[in-house]
Amino acid sequence: MGARQERKEATRARVLAAARGLFDEVGYEAATIRMVAQRAGVSVGSVFTTFIGKAHLLSQVMADRVEALQAELEQVVPHLRGPAVDRLRSIMAVHYGFETRHLRLFVAYIAASYDWPSDGGVSPLGRNARFRGMLAEALVQGVERGEVRPDIDTELFVDTLLAAYVWNYRRASQDNADAPALIAEMDRQIGLLFEGVAVRL
Amino acid sequence: MNHLSARMFAPPQEQPMTRRAMAKQRTRRHLLDAAKRLFNERGYEAATVRDIAAAAGLSTGAVFASFSDKADLFGEVILDDCEALADHLKNAIEDDEGTEAALLRLFSMAYAFHRDHLPLVQAAIGHSWVAEPHAARRVRGAAKRVQALVDEVLRRGVERGELSRDLDIRLTNEMIWDSFVANYRHAIFESWDASALEARLSAQIKILLAGWRAAA
Repeated sequence: MGARQERKEATRARVLAAARGLFDEVGYEAATIRMVAQRAGVSVGSVFTTFIGKAHLLSQVMADRVEALQAELEQVVPHLRGPAVDRLRSIMAVHYGFETRHLRLFVAYIAASYDWPSDGGVSPLGRNARFRGMLAEALVQGVERGEVRPDIDTELFVDTLLAAYVWNYRRASQDNADAPALIAEMDRQIGLLFEGVAVRL
Repeated sequence: MNHLSARMFAPPQEQPMTRRAMAKQRTRRHLLDAAKRLFNERGYEAATVRDIAAAAGLSTGAVFASFSDKADLFGEVILDDCEALADHLKNAIEDDEGTEAALLRLFSMAYAFHRDHLPLVQAAIGHSWVAEPHAARRVRGAAKRVQALVDEVLRRGVERGELSRDLDIRLTNEMIWDSFVANYRHAIFESWDASALEARLSAQIKILLAGWRAAA
């Protein structure tokens, strides 16, 4: 890497760290590019040479977090035992545990995901293929082990599960529900949904 | 104070409103309609208070006589739209319909209701995540009116013996609602039409109820 390229990378990393801190502390809505620049110790112009706008900054902050969440999931998922329904619950519990650590950031991401520039540069809410794949995988294993009906529409099941998953954050942001409360609710929701695809003995 | 819903201060209908109160309510109505149209067409940022006032045939000052600021006006537009949806659906339940058919008709009407102002719905959903608690509670109140209808349909399904007594009605209701709202993403970002949304929600309702059919 040339010196110039290195400087560019360093600026980018500083800007991202500043944005992450600000979104967490003052909230995404209230944070401005000027504040980000100030905190990162760079000019407003140089923020804009790397990121098109605030939405792209948030998008990149979230993309970096996806990697960290993925790492946590990879530590847990291969060791899951027991019925498919409980594996689904454990996977979702990891998500809640991770996201509630920076609840404000995640809720801001949900809000912003409704007016993102749909230019393909951002991974929209609920469409992360790796996360969806983990859930689908647990269901496929359930089919193989005779717990889940083979005619299951995994795409539909995952969509329905994720709709409930995302909306549960309401309870956290508006009613101050904590991670254990969200996980307990999701456990019940997965139980209810799973009844619709379970093999009856 | 003057930005609170006119509905809250509306006198009972038997008593005639004073001419002044009626004029005030008319002004408010014009503003809400104009604001809804411009927010929908241009988005929150691009729709200026001045343009909204002009579209309603009023002065900018008249807007601030009814609403404290643009954010307040936007919040009232969303609330008004939610109340209108609840009004639109309130007589939609019929006695002799199966649970699935009744739910689907209810939500098909809701999707059809929103079809001509999807950008506003998109903004409203996004906004609802960051709305201040008071505004959020009022919108939630309007949503609860629709959820009460869903509750009614599910309860009748249980009473008729179509659904199991073990069905958790609250949880089922909320999960159907979550899917209903989440499906707007497909309409907004993937241009699904109303019939595609209905088909998806129909499948979701089926899977949610599938495990809870009463044993024949």
